Amino acid sequence: MWDSFVQGIGLALSFGTLLMMAIGLFLGIFVGALPGFSTVMAMAILLPISFFLDPLMGIPFLIGVYKGGIFGGCIPAILVSMPGTGASVATTFDGPALTRKKQSRKAMEMALYSSTIGDLTSDVITILAIGPIALLAMQIGPPELAAVILVSLLIIAVTTSEDLLKGLLMMVLGMFLAMIGTDPLGGMSRFTFGVFELKSGIPLLPMLIGVYALPEILLATEHKLKTVGDRITSIGERLTLNELKRCMRTIMRSTGIGTVVGMIPGVGQVVAAFMGYAAAKNASKHPETFGKGELEGVAAAEAANNAVNGPTLVPLMTLGIPGDNVTAILLGAFVAQGLRPGPQLISDQGPLVFAILIAMVVANFLFLAIGYAVIPLFAKVVTIRRAMLLPLTVVLAFAGSYIYRSDPNDLIILVCFGAFGYIARKVKMNVTPMVMGFILGPILEYSFGQTMSMSKGDLAGFIIFDRPISASILVLAPVLIYYLHSRTNSLRKVYVNKDEQNA
Amino acid sequence: MNTQYLACRLTLALLYIPLSLIGITSQAADYPLKPITLAIPFGAGGSHDLNARIFTKVIPKYLNQPVILKMMPGAAGQKGTSAVVRAKPDGYTLLFTDNYHDQLQKYIEYLPYDTSEELITVARTNYAPVSILVSADSPYQSLQDLLDYAKENPGMLSLAHSGNWGAQFVPLLRILLDAEAHMTFIPYKGGGPAKQALLSGDVDVGTAFPSVALPLVKAGIVRMLASAGDTRLLPDVPTFTELGFDDDLGLMQRIVLAPRDIPAEHLEILRSAFSKLEFDDEYQGLMKQIGANTEYLNGSEYEKLRQVQSQRFQALVNNMSADSDNE
Repeated sequence: MWDSFVQGIGLALSFGTLLMMAIGLFLGIFVGALPGFSTVMAMAILLPISFFLDPLMGIPFLIGVYKGGIFGGCIPAILVSMPGTGASVATTFDGPALTRKKQSRKAMEMALYSSTIGDLTSDVITILAIGPIALLAMQIGPPELAAVILVSLLIIAVTTSEDLLKGLLMMVLGMFLAMIGTDPLGGMSRFTFGVFELKSGIPLLPMLIGVYALPEILLATEHKLKTVGDRITSIGERLTLNELKRCMRTIMRSTGIGTVVGMIPGVGQVVAAFMGYAAAKNASKHPETFGKGELEGVAAAEAANNAVNGPTLVPLMTLGIPGDNVTAILLGAFVAQGLRPGPQLISDQGPLVFAILIAMVVANFLFLAIGYAVIPLFAKVVTIRRAMLLPLTVVLAFAGSYIYRSDPNDLIILVCFGAFGYIARKVKMNVTPMVMGFILGPILEYSFGQTMSMSKGDLAGFIIFDRPISASILVLAPVLIYYLHSRTNSLRKVYVNKDEQNA
Repeated sequence: MNTQYLACRLTLALLYIPLSLIGITSQAADYPLKPITLAIPFGAGGSHDLNARIFTKVIPKYLNQPVILKMMPGAAGQKGTSAVVRAKPDGYTLLFTDNYHDQLQKYIEYLPYDTSEELITVARTNYAPVSILVSADSPYQSLQDLLDYAKENPGMLSLAHSGNWGAQFVPLLRILLDAEAHMTFIPYKGGGPAKQALLSGDVDVGTAFPSVALPLVKAGIVRMLASAGDTRLLPDVPTFTELGFDDDLGLMQRIVLAPRDIPAEHLEILRSAFSKLEFDDEYQGLMKQIGANTEYLNGSEYEKLRQVQSQRFQALVNNMSADSDNE
């Protein structure tokens, strides 16, 4: 094992590996920054390039695209409140507010540093604990996944909304919207009213852009009619070391959360970013600044969603099981290189496996350098006159929604959700629980359905006697929810008091 | 590694980007004059995606135009399929799908199109045979053992597959109906999670294609009980046919289809281009790397097989509904 590791270091630090990784990162950041182009799409398109390369160039290349793409997603989220994936939803809570405060450069640098730190730490943990993580991943089946998702949904409902009832209402609405289309277990049509276009369900991306970006544009035109010709002349100040230090606790907490979430196959970045954000807000001495342009909020979300990356590769490397679409493409790349991910990969190809893992660690340093270089470029976007920037954002919103599935019907969905998001803002309903219900609802439904089949009719007995992990999560959930609920309530009092003092 | 070799591969890789976009447009012909779109009704990163990335890389050599992939997942493949059915039948829009989505789906639910009437085969690029797996410490040494137990204890065994009415579900259903045995079918989202369910012991029986199954068998983690196809996948594992089962439903056929009203000469050009893949070393090499076979079958041959399959699928679905009515 140790020999393999040492050989791996030598292999990973070759010029070709570093170069291809840098190219991958660069391409990834750009593709990730374009709404509508997902990281998965970019990887699938670039996959054949890796066929021509040596395994130690091809795979780091794709890993570069992956890491770059996830970071790239935070750029439109911060600048124009347009999350390209569910993973950057939590970044839109504070990012756009920072941009309005002319601190977009700070926000992006914070996103870069916290992403890098989160990613690096989780990669190191992954390498050190690859065996235990693989064992843990094996223990997680549908019953455990269902319990984790259920608890996540409850935490989100409790922590996001001012009012628990409103939060639950929006969440249930989201879960209902996700049920439109073909039922994932039985394949039957639900709530489609015979409309063929609805059979494939409501797509996520037009919904995300609709509820987050369009209301932002509408509000901007509404409030700032007088200032529409204004422009911000500078790209804002750089992040200071003190600001980074202040956020270190948050970054480390989010990294821990992200790493744990990454170990549970099937949960993913969306939940991690969200949990990281909620935990940071909960631990903060000034929770009222969250959602109004708090650098810590960006750090919390970005560190957590990037920390997921390392552990998700473990089931792929050790068992050949891809946890999501991205790892499925990596599996394709591995196979095409003549590597068979699975139980024998480490014993047969030890040095190569370690080289790939070490390359992942090294990628973070390259990532830091490349990100540092491209941020001023993106930050320039805010210096475009508002009269130009707003229409451009509208174009981007429509183009992004269309590109995702090349379906003109998605534009109708975009407009509907835009209107819905605008009204929700006006009546002070938070759309985030709805989006989370929409994303996590189908995972819950699927894993619950599987659990029902597995239990062969005796659900309670099956959970209690055969799946202790699932049972303990479910038992602990009410305690956690109660704690969070009372904590959120007491915070709200502080919040109200402070507001009164200010007034 | 010597640097010249490295530089050479790097250049090759980078050259691929513009080449794949522009294609090689030297020869003049009246078809194809512009890039061809190949719709895949499944998600990015699946086996269809991977297969298509390889042949679309090679086929511009024979078509003189690039082939652009368009991933159109949704509604269990119906979204992409209906888009091609509705496309102009000019030979610039093709579909890359499999036999279950092409011929089985229409017997299970109402579809706003009939693939047999509206689509015609350009080529079957290859197929993948399904196999039945149990974990290595399982008491079942043969398919017969397994079926005997399932018959005596209906529903006690659980089986993981990659989705209802999919490539791993249908052949197993067929065998269980023939054997009058009953197991609890548990759907997973694709072959990967289904494989994890078998490995972690969540289910008793698994199904997989060779690229997944063979490494696990070699590692001694699972035991293969039987496989589909005419030839044995492993020397000591019998095929379904040898065991007396009709194996025809156990092969996932990857097929390229075109709208049926495509001009005959355009279809001919496409068919001949795909037929040349059989003798293309680059294609053969890349397909070997991903562990897929290259058992090409030409379009008109496959059309015959397609009809036979369609009848068998229909019989299976009727059989299945009759079975559930009796319960």
